[in-house]
Amino acid sequence: MMLRRRALLACSLAAPALLTRRASAAGNVTAAIYPGPWEEAYRAIVAPALKSDAGIDVAFEPLFAVDEIAKVRAARGNPPFDVMVLDPGPRASGIDFELYEPFDGAKLKNASKVPTGLIDKYGAAVAAQVVGIAYNPKKVAKPSGWPDLFKPDFVTHLGLTGLQTTFGTMCIIEIAKAFGGSDTDIEPAFAAIKKALPQVAAVASPAALPGLFQQGQVDLMYINTQTVTTLKSRGVDVEFVVPDTGASAFVTTMHITKGSQHVPEAYAYIDAVLATPIQDKLANKPYYLTPVNKDVDPGADVPMKSVDEIGKFVTYDWQKINLQRAKWIDRFNKEVAK
Amino acid sequence: MNETRRAVLLAAPLGLAQVAFFLAPLLILAATSFATDERLRGASLQGWSEFAGDPFNLRALLDTMKLGAATVVATACLALPLALLHLVGGPGLRRLILIVSVLPLLTSVVVRSFAWIAILGRDGVIAQASVALGVTSTPLVLLQTEPGLILALTQIEMPLMLLPLLSTLGRLDPALLDASAVLGASLARTLRCVVLPAALPGLFAGATLVFASSSTAFISQSVIGGGRLVYLPSLLWQQAMVIFNWPQAAAIALTLMLSVLLVVTALNATGRRLHG
Repeated sequence: MMLRRRALLACSLAAPALLTRRASAAGNVTAAIYPGPWEEAYRAIVAPALKSDAGIDVAFEPLFAVDEIAKVRAARGNPPFDVMVLDPGPRASGIDFELYEPFDGAKLKNASKVPTGLIDKYGAAVAAQVVGIAYNPKKVAKPSGWPDLFKPDFVTHLGLTGLQTTFGTMCIIEIAKAFGGSDTDIEPAFAAIKKALPQVAAVASPAALPGLFQQGQVDLMYINTQTVTTLKSRGVDVEFVVPDTGASAFVTTMHITKGSQHVPEAYAYIDAVLATPIQDKLANKPYYLTPVNKDVDPGADVPMKSVDEIGKFVTYDWQKINLQRAKWIDRFNKEVAK
Repeated sequence: MNETRRAVLLAAPLGLAQVAFFLAPLLILAATSFATDERLRGASLQGWSEFAGDPFNLRALLDTMKLGAATVVATACLALPLALLHLVGGPGLRRLILIVSVLPLLTSVVVRSFAWIAILGRDGVIAQASVALGVTSTPLVLLQTEPGLILALTQIEMPLMLLPLLSTLGRLDPALLDASAVLGASLARTLRCVVLPAALPGLFAGATLVFASSSTAFISQSVIGGGRLVYLPSLLWQQAMVIFNWPQAAAIALTLMLSVLLVVTALNATGRRLHG
């Protein structure tokens, strides 16, 4: 009786180990992916293509960029996934924390389809994002630039969001620049926000902002083109505006997590993502992920004909920004708190 | 003795799991709060001093506790009459009250929180109704305000107050109510001297659950409360996930846990004293 119980206990303890070993057999790769449209699109398009073309099974772990960084750091060298998908801010943090395997673009068959500079020793770009102003044409006039957001006719419709995300940080820097600041001095943005606070429609977390827009709580926000197209496809009255000082753009990159046991499969996965037919499907209804493949049309709401034009957009030095970001986030909290 | 041994053996797997997956991480969390970084490379009080040295954080702590207390009061005020109705009602009404009180638990807290946006927002039911009924001249927008958040949390946390109340009052012998009436007590006196003392254990159990749950309700606080109401869970998330300052995040996590634990212990002690 005793013996059997022990045997049972031993079996139950050993079972997870057996399962893990099975999951890490050859021909598998685990990839972190953003929840929402990204996850839906990758499950529907990338996973079947990778299985039929390369015989590789991909398992997805839905996580936001900051959560991926936190998980990989907490795992201390035994990463829970082989591929990370990141925006520039978290990507720069990952470089500082040495979370990536060295990346060799020559191992990608589709590398030539991507503009030079978008594949480097850390990883490869898989999608672009263009950030600007979104407004509800039935409720407010078309804004022309960042200072308009703070004018009386607009400010009561405005939804503000802080610096927790890449796009939020970029927009607050752009607001600062419009009022005389720079990408290292965002004081003027804080001054404008503080003055506008009693009138703004909402101060929300970045994830809640599209929902508030859809519900009519805010009619004006700073956001990326992908969200605008997604909202539009669901019948929301929304249009994207390139501010008179130019739209900002950045690329979302994929990286092979340091300590990954599936490096060849991880390259195959990233290569599959960059292939022209896949990028084309990802860029279209209902996902609207802005492509980085030069042969693919970015779509009507994205103000560029091809990703080749990305150099013309406003970009930033994230390693420099990250140094100040903690201070800025803290400052934003305090400025907006009631 | 043999019985005890068997009980210990049966409890051992869960006990060991608790040690491995709860106690050990908790100790690592405590150690992190006293470290220079998340790899515990050196000891430092910086995490704690950064947190406690900023009055903004202490106000957020106070606001968090106040939010929990307000939700407890609101849920108790609304749950008690419902529980009384359940006590005196027929089987059909009892079943209806039970279903209505459990129903919210069957939908995700995310869905419930987002539904409240539609109710509290600018074009929401309350804003429209307040103007239509002539209560206010401009729409009453409760979204991103503290009263709105308390209102939503009251609905979201209600089952946690109602279920313990129903279960303790269910054990009250209905004959006691008759006895009280026969002896000449008014309805108010019966409520005060018979029903309320019997309800107290459930009330305290409910208060404990509601307080712990509402003061740490990260999703509802950020979705309904918005960026202008700052509570500890959102500060904790920012420090851990955006700024990567794990020592301070650990200090906030422990502060939140200890504060909630303190209030819950005090509630339990009061409950035991009043009851015993």
